[in-house]
Order: sequence, then C-alpha cells, then structure tokens
Amino acid sequence: MTDVILEKVGKTYPNGYHAIPSVDLSIEEGEFIVLVGPSGCGKSTLLRMVAGLESISTGELRIRGERMNEKEPADRDIAMVFQNYALYPHMTVYDNMAYGLKNRGMAKDLIAEKVSDVAAMLGLTELLQRKPRQLSGGQRQRVAMGRAMVRDPKVFLFDEPLSNLDAKLRVQMRVEIRQLQRKLGTTTLYVTHDQVEAMTLADRLVVLNKGKAEQIGTPMDLYNKPATPFVAAFIGSPSMNLLDAHLTEQGITVSDELTLPLSHPHRGAIVWGIRPEHLDVSDEHNADFALRIQAVESLGAETLIHGKVETTSGQGDAMVVRLSGPHLPDINSLMWLKAPAQYWHLFDAVTQQRL
Amino acid sequence: MTVTFPQKGLPWLLLLPQLLITAIFFLWPAEQALEQAFYQEDAFGLSREFIGLENFADLFSNPLYYQSILTTLVFSFSVAIVGMSVALLLAVMADRVIRGKLAYQTLLIWPYAVAPALAGVLWWILFDPSMGPIALWLKSAGVDWNHYLDGSQAMILVVIASTWKQISYNFLFFLAGLQAVPRSLIEAAAIDGASPFKRFWTIVFPLLSPTTFFLLVVNLVYAFFETFGVIDATTKGGPGQSTTTLVYKVFDDGFVGLDLGGSAAQSVVLMGIVGLMTVIQFRFIERKVQYS
Ligand SMILES: Nc1ncnc2c1ncn2[C@@H]1O[C@H](COP(=O)(O)OP(=O)(O)O)[C@@H](O)[C@H]1O
Ligand SMILES: [Mg+2]
Repeated sequence: MTDVILEKVGKTYPNGYHAIPSVDLSIEEGEFIVLVGPSGCGKSTLLRMVAGLESISTGELRIRGERMNEKEPADRDIAMVFQNYALYPHMTVYDNMAYGLKNRGMAKDLIAEKVSDVAAMLGLTELLQRKPRQLSGGQRQRVAMGRAMVRDPKVFLFDEPLSNLDAKLRVQMRVEIRQLQRKLGTTTLYVTHDQVEAMTLADRLVVLNKGKAEQIGTPMDLYNKPATPFVAAFIGSPSMNLLDAHLTEQGITVSDELTLPLSHPHRGAIVWGIRPEHLDVSDEHNADFALRIQAVESLGAETLIHGKVETTSGQGDAMVVRLSGPHLPDINSLMWLKAPAQYWHLFDAVTQQRL
Repeated sequence: MTVTFPQKGLPWLLLLPQLLITAIFFLWPAEQALEQAFYQEDAFGLSREFIGLENFADLFSNPLYYQSILTTLVFSFSVAIVGMSVALLLAVMADRVIRGKLAYQTLLIWPYAVAPALAGVLWWILFDPSMGPIALWLKSAGVDWNHYLDGSQAMILVVIASTWKQISYNFLFFLAGLQAVPRSLIEAAAIDGASPFKRFWTIVFPLLSPTTFFLLVVNLVYAFFETFGVIDATTKGGPGQSTTTLVYKVFDDGFVGLDLGGSAAQSVVLMGIVGLMTVIQFRFIERKVQYS
C-alpha cells in the first residue's frame, strides 16, 4: 500500500528563492527512503514540507490518501528527529518523551507505560529522570528517537540525525536505527548528505541536486546504473572516474588521443565513467591504457592510486584506481590498466542522461 | 594578563578622580547620614543632641513608616510585573514581525532615552484631572479621574509613569532572550501537538526564566530607588501618604518635614536594603540558571 505521496511538490521561499522546482515520489508502507545530496540541495526543505514546518508552494502531499497541504504538523501523524535533537532542556528525559502524549490528552498511567516500554527498548530506563544536559551526545540522540517512537506515528522523519556524533557512534547508531525501523515497520523518510549512510540505510534512495530528484532507486540500482554523471559521482567512494570523451565510429576517444573500441549509435561529446574498483592491473600488451602514478593512499585493506592517463601531450585526465590489499608502486612510474567494457558508464555530455 | 606600571604612584593617580567622586558624593554623605541618625537636631539646626537609637525606635514604632513600606512593595511589584508583562508581550510580537522589524524595535527603545522627571511631567499633563486628554477621555467613559483626591488612582498614575520607560529596557532583554530560543524546539513542540499558547507557556517561558529573574531584580531595584523624580513630578507622594515610597519619605521627612534625624535613620535602613539587594544580585544573577 502506498503510504506517502509527493505529487509535483515545489517550494519557493518568501524571499523568492526557488528551492525545489518539482518532486514526485511515492513511498510504500514500511519503506525506508533516504533523501541524499550535497549541502544546500533542498533535502531539509523537502522533509520540512512533509512535516508541515514549511508550507508547500505547489503540488500536493498525501499521507494514506489524505491531502496534507493545509494540515498542522500535529495533525499529520508524523514524528521528527532533528539534527540538534531539539530536546526540551528544562524537562527530564521522561517529560521529553511524554510531552507529545500529554498534549494529546492521553491518560497518565498509559503514558507511563508507553514511555517505559520505549525507554527499555532504547536502553534509556536508567536515564529517565535526567535532564538533557546531563546526557552524552549518543544518549541525547537516543532520547530524540524515543520521543519520536513513543507516539507511534505513521511516518518517521529524520533530518541528519547522526551528523553531530563521532564516527564510531555514527556507525553504531546507523545499524541501530535500521534495526529499530525494521522492527517497528514505520514508514521513514531520512535526510543525509553522507552517501555511505544513505547506501546502508535505504530501501530506496532519492538523490537530490539543486532541488531536483536526479534519480530514485535502490542503492544497487544507483550504483550499477546511475542516471546522470551527478549521481555517478555522488554514489560510491571514492567517486567514479568521469572523463570528457568523444564517441565516434571507432569508439570512445579519451584524453584526446586514446581510443577504446566500441560500436554505439551515439555520436559526439559524452562523459565516460568507470569506478575505481572496476579498473584492473594488466600488462603492456593487454592493457587499454597506462596511468602515470602521482600519489598512493595505502589503507591496508585497500590501496587508492591517483594518477594521470599517459598521453603524448602529457595532458591526460586524472583517474583513481582502487586495488584490494597493500600495493606500493613507485610515484611517477607507469601502471598498465584494463577497463572492462561491462563496467563502462556513458552519459550524453549535453543532456547529462545515461546512454 | 597583568599590566605593570613603571611607578607605583601612577595607578593611584589614574584612580583618583573616581575615588574623589565616590568620596564626595557617596562616602561622605553616607557617613553624615549614619552620624545624623544618632542625633536629634533642634528646629533651627543650631544645636544637636546625641540620642542613641531613639530615631530608629521612633521609626519602627511609627505606623506611617509601615504604611510606606507597604506602599513601596505594592508600587515596586506593580512596576516590575506590569513593565515586564507588557514588554514580554511586545517582544513576542516583535519576534514574529519580519518586515519593518528595525523600525518597530527602534520605536520601542526611544522611551528609555527620556529623562525620568520629564516622563513624569508628560504623564502628569496627560492625566491632569481638569485638562489632561487621558483624564478627560476617562471621564467621558464614566471614570471619575482625580489622582489628587483618590489614592488608588494616584498609585496607578505613578506606576504607569514609572513603568513606561522600563518597558524599553525589559523589551530589549526579552527580545534577545526569545531570539536565543532555538527554533527547532518550537517546531518539535508543534509536532508534539502543543498549541501556540501552550508552546509559549511550556517551552519558551521556562527557557526565558534566567532573563525573567534578572529583570525582576533590576526592575525592583529601579522601582525602589530610582523613581523619586517620577513621583515628585506627578503626585509628590500624595494624596496623603498614598504614593510615598521609602525613598520619597526620606526626602519628604528630611527636607519638607525637617526631621533630619528621622530622615537619616530611614537612609540607613535603605542603605541596608541596597546592600541586601546587591548581594542577591551577585549571588543569583552572576551564576544564573544555565541551560545548554
Ligand atoms: N527560510 C529560507 N528562506 C530562503 N531560502 C532558504 C530558506 N531555508 C533554506 N533556504 C535555501 O534553500 C536551499 C536548500 O536549503 P536546505 O533544504 O536547508 O538544504 P539542505 O538541507 O539540503 O542542506 C539553500 O540554498 C538554502 O539557502
Ligand atoms: Mg539540511
């Protein structure tokens, strides 16, 4: 069953800034959707329109079939976790979690029961009488989640909930959020600028670029078949190698002189892409091209090699190669590489669409 | 960091003007008042007689003095509460205004620049029973306004005249306090189903409590000690004793009633109150309630 529908939803701020032109999205019940994109692309704006904290300028938002545009945040049956947690500083953890239930006129003993259930689930039982300032960052984050969960809403909204935590805690909470969401089965809309977080959490991802949904799909869809160079560069770490190229009868011309044979009906300027992990080390006779090594990053489990495509002009494009295990090639030496054609991504340079 | 001066004398030289002013305008009169409080002077100021604590005994057995204490408390809390309530209301409104914000805020700050005596005269004219526009309007609305005869009306007048300029000051602090409340808290409360009214009373107002407490002390101190000019310009403490605050009584008994000993004893009591309020101010405001 479709739970949340955004139909041509757009946002123009009162100062005239056109933050979101038009976004279409339909979310299934229980689905975990992640909105991802660089800072300033309109993720928070879109989420806040769903929450009712920003008005919807154009289009329609429906939750379980009901139009929400004119409804107050309280009447949308959603709960939100803010980046700074937005815990009420003068209230105890218990009161923070109970506040929404009290406002809805729930009986005291029922509130106590619900709060203690959720607190137990999140390991907050010992902290219920503390004030937020007596909690660590991770604990505050948990309380913010607890406050959202205790109301048992139709939809969870998260706005970069992990970005104030240190790296280790972030990974831990990421796993925990995913487990909790699975267990509760609550439809979730989650905003992040971190593509790793996005890939690991999402059932489906929405990649936003300047207020436009560039692509909507499962993490593997986006990894295997990015619709645009923007998505290709955004998903995956390190980023996909994207080179300006030309498609002719002979094939793809890269760095002005190197030709990779291919028969494809398209002609003209294209963007040719291949992920760093899809380049293979080869030898002079079987290789497609050579890379002049400029820098080596050894991470133990893998090695990232940065270099330039070797050409007669010396003006070759920069590329990154990702090899598993430790490697220690000499700087300035040549590395022969094979680029298997099944891993190529071709985009029209003008329309930016996948070919 | 410490600054060292080449000669030992220079710091003292630099401090001298301040020390002189303090000595001439504060320490010397204070010492005089303290001394005077233990003497009784004859009607012509020619001779005086040491009488120990008799001035204080007289003071605390005089029902008029207790009357004045009560008047001062009613007056001060009225000034503080009215001034802070109006300022808070204006600040909440200003916080919502987006266009013309600066003009609105500037207008509200102006009254603070008007001298207290001038403000007093202004209100005195507006409320004059025979020709003041507000008094005439009140009469047409069925209220028989005459603060020369009616003690409660006189009290209302001095409260209005004293509160008026404090509103600007309170407003600035409340506005700063409101702007320091994170927006996301209010948004979270909105999602949690709290009405705008409830959001204010359960989230915003508790978060303003350090500001509120600070302003309460400041306004009480103001109403206690800095409203002489306003009272003198509007009611002169009358009718009867109905607007005679403790500070006004010091002046009235000493310079109008010429009871210098009694007036000095009252000054000593006031000095005690000032000391106490200073302690409260430092104790509680310097480490005010902190929310992180
Ligand atoms: N209240 C506002 N008025 C005008 N422009 C805004 C407002 N809020 C955000 N914007 C602009 O809208 C764009 C998207 O903002 P936002 O949704 O917060 O981005 P993100 O969350 O993806 O970083 C930004 O360029 C931002 O400057
Ligand atoms: Mg944001």
